[in-house]
Amino acid sequence: MEGPSSRSSHTQDRPPCPPGRRASCDGAESDHARDTKTHFRVCRFIMETGVKLEMRSVPVATACVLYHHFFERVSIRSYEPYLVAMSCLYLAGKVEEQHLRTRDIINVSHRYFNSGSAPLECDKEFWDVRDSVVQCELLILRQLNFQVSFEHPHKYLLHYLPSVKSLVNRHAWSRAPVAETSWALLRDCYHGAMCIRHTPQHIAIATLYLALNSYGVELPVGEKEWWQVLCEDVTKADIDAVISDLLQLYDMEAKCI
Amino acid sequence: MEELSRWVREAGRFIRRCCCGEEEENEEEKGRREEEEEEEEVKMEELSFRKSRSSTSLPPAESDAYQFSSSPSGSQPHWFQTLQVRRFRVQRGRSNSDPLRGNSQPDEFTWKSGLRFGTENSYLSLEKLGEGAYASVYKGISRINGQLVALKVIRMKTEEGVPFTAIREASLLKGLKHANVVLLHDIIHTRESLTLVFEYVQTDLAQYLTQHPGGLHSHNVRIFMFQLLRGLCYIHSRRILHRDLKPQNLLISYLGELKLADFGLARSKSIPSQTFSSEVVTLWYRPPDVLLGSTDYSTALDMWGAGCVFVEMLQGAPAFPGVSDVFEQLQKIWTVVGVPSENSWPGVSQLPNYKPDWFLHSEPKQLRSVWKRLNQLPYKTEDLVQRMLTVRPADRISALDSLKHPYFSTLPPPIMHLRDTVSIFRVPGVVLETEVRDICNPGRKVRPSLLPAAKCW
Repeated sequence: MEGPSSRSSHTQDRPPCPPGRRASCDGAESDHARDTKTHFRVCRFIMETGVKLEMRSVPVATACVLYHHFFERVSIRSYEPYLVAMSCLYLAGKVEEQHLRTRDIINVSHRYFNSGSAPLECDKEFWDVRDSVVQCELLILRQLNFQVSFEHPHKYLLHYLPSVKSLVNRHAWSRAPVAETSWALLRDCYHGAMCIRHTPQHIAIATLYLALNSYGVELPVGEKEWWQVLCEDVTKADIDAVISDLLQLYDMEAKCI
Repeated sequence: MEELSRWVREAGRFIRRCCCGEEEENEEEKGRREEEEEEEEVKMEELSFRKSRSSTSLPPAESDAYQFSSSPSGSQPHWFQTLQVRRFRVQRGRSNSDPLRGNSQPDEFTWKSGLRFGTENSYLSLEKLGEGAYASVYKGISRINGQLVALKVIRMKTEEGVPFTAIREASLLKGLKHANVVLLHDIIHTRESLTLVFEYVQTDLAQYLTQHPGGLHSHNVRIFMFQLLRGLCYIHSRRILHRDLKPQNLLISYLGELKLADFGLARSKSIPSQTFSSEVVTLWYRPPDVLLGSTDYSTALDMWGAGCVFVEMLQGAPAFPGVSDVFEQLQKIWTVVGVPSENSWPGVSQLPNYKPDWFLHSEPKQLRSVWKRLNQLPYKTEDLVQRMLTVRPADRISALDSLKHPYFSTLPPPIMHLRDTVSIFRVPGVVLETEVRDICNPGRKVRPSLLPAAKCW
């Protein structure tokens, strides 16, 4: 198992790396840009693993938020990001009451890094990885001061969608998959730290706004903009900020592949 | 004893060495991890040491040990002397749980400025109070400010890491500061255990009820109920459900302050109700909608539990006791409130456990005919019980509304406008009455404060 391995892997002489992790290092780019890319890839790993483990959207989102909060506090060079990601998945399962087994997380991750290979034997390497995941969970809890319950935009989006639907022409709504698109945009937000920089309400409004605009769905014009009706404190600038962050993420996706 | 104090001094020196080392190498990232482990090992050693002492009778041993300590300073309570490890210079970067951070009452006298929150040796455990499924609870004392504390030591299983109940309890309680919610002072973590440090509260409602059988003084019931609802109102406004209300989880201080505790099953609730796991809440205090298999419960869940506690305080016996299975429990409830139908509760027939043929027919009864104590009290008492024990969750009274119920109108009005952290006993005229049993037995008049607290959770 190459990516997340036991503690010994923190020494610098260790040969890297999961596929793609270093692939695009072209020296010229700044540390920051490189770190953002790494986080992007690790978040993709979290989401893919989450789907394979049949986790619901909110636990996966919690795992990503845990991950971003953790690396907000520590340098990515101090800790193996994929190990942290595995522990985040594990911890998110506990926080959101969708319990996962470490065994499953390790097997799925192992397959992610070594596609086609057999699962790890129950040998020392396996136990080491498991101990690392469990230890890292405690480390995350400490770094985050045990503040691990988060509010997510998902419920706000679910709340806003029917309201917007009732304002839109029925035929226009049926032609454009606004709900699916905004939900997908919302999930994509978690690739970057934007999910912890904006309030859940603002993210929900912005993804809905972007989805509506992308399909050219028009809402009746009234005294107030529709988003002001749904969420009192949101401004156009807030929405633009979220959308700009989101577009940067999509831009990064192109670079990461 | 001499050996003991020497051991402690040795340990202190050892720790100091380790910690200073940590300071020097602080910048080196590579070594950081290993060091952390080393240091934790030290702390663990200390913990096991502490535990082994705490099982024996501690205070006399401590005062003996005092005589061997070389530098007593007058203001310090004697039994801390020997355990002082002088670590003033050591800055611990990882004290990640300082509940009084910043606004710690600066005027308050602190006993030892070198000790910090979040560290193992800032607390001394005195006696074991109880043993739970995943934790042991010790009575302890804070060496930082001399306060009594309750130490909930959570064992960590190597396979599963930190128990999820502990994570939930810690993450939710960290954000809660209210006179009627138990205060989480600190969190200490080592590699093998996690200790939650709570304020120490003398007893709990279950014990209080045992000490005063046959129902409590109606005035005291009102005071306890007000505090219970005030606490619930607070956590519900923070979108947190307790989910496990029962007398054992309601702590009572010697003054009569009631505090919600044990948030292991609590969780944040979201606005559009979401499905939660349905295996929560002790059966006796579980509302009919949850017993019927509903999973989109919300704050009304806790209100039913509070209603059951209300009746239990009045009657001296649980409201719906003594059954082990969901259907028996439902039957107990139906015999009082009647079997619900689509007319009285639209949607009830959709719930998974709703099987009308299984339920014996019963009509709603007057609560005062079921619980005799209600007969002796003004009508408004029964009215409030009625509103809390309403079968349909949407019709059940909320915590906020219940505080405004006429039942509480006899309490002094300022009680309604207290700040969150102020106890209701600050309001002039709010005092606990002596319980009847204490009047009957003046010879052995016991105040709850003087009773040995076998269990404080």
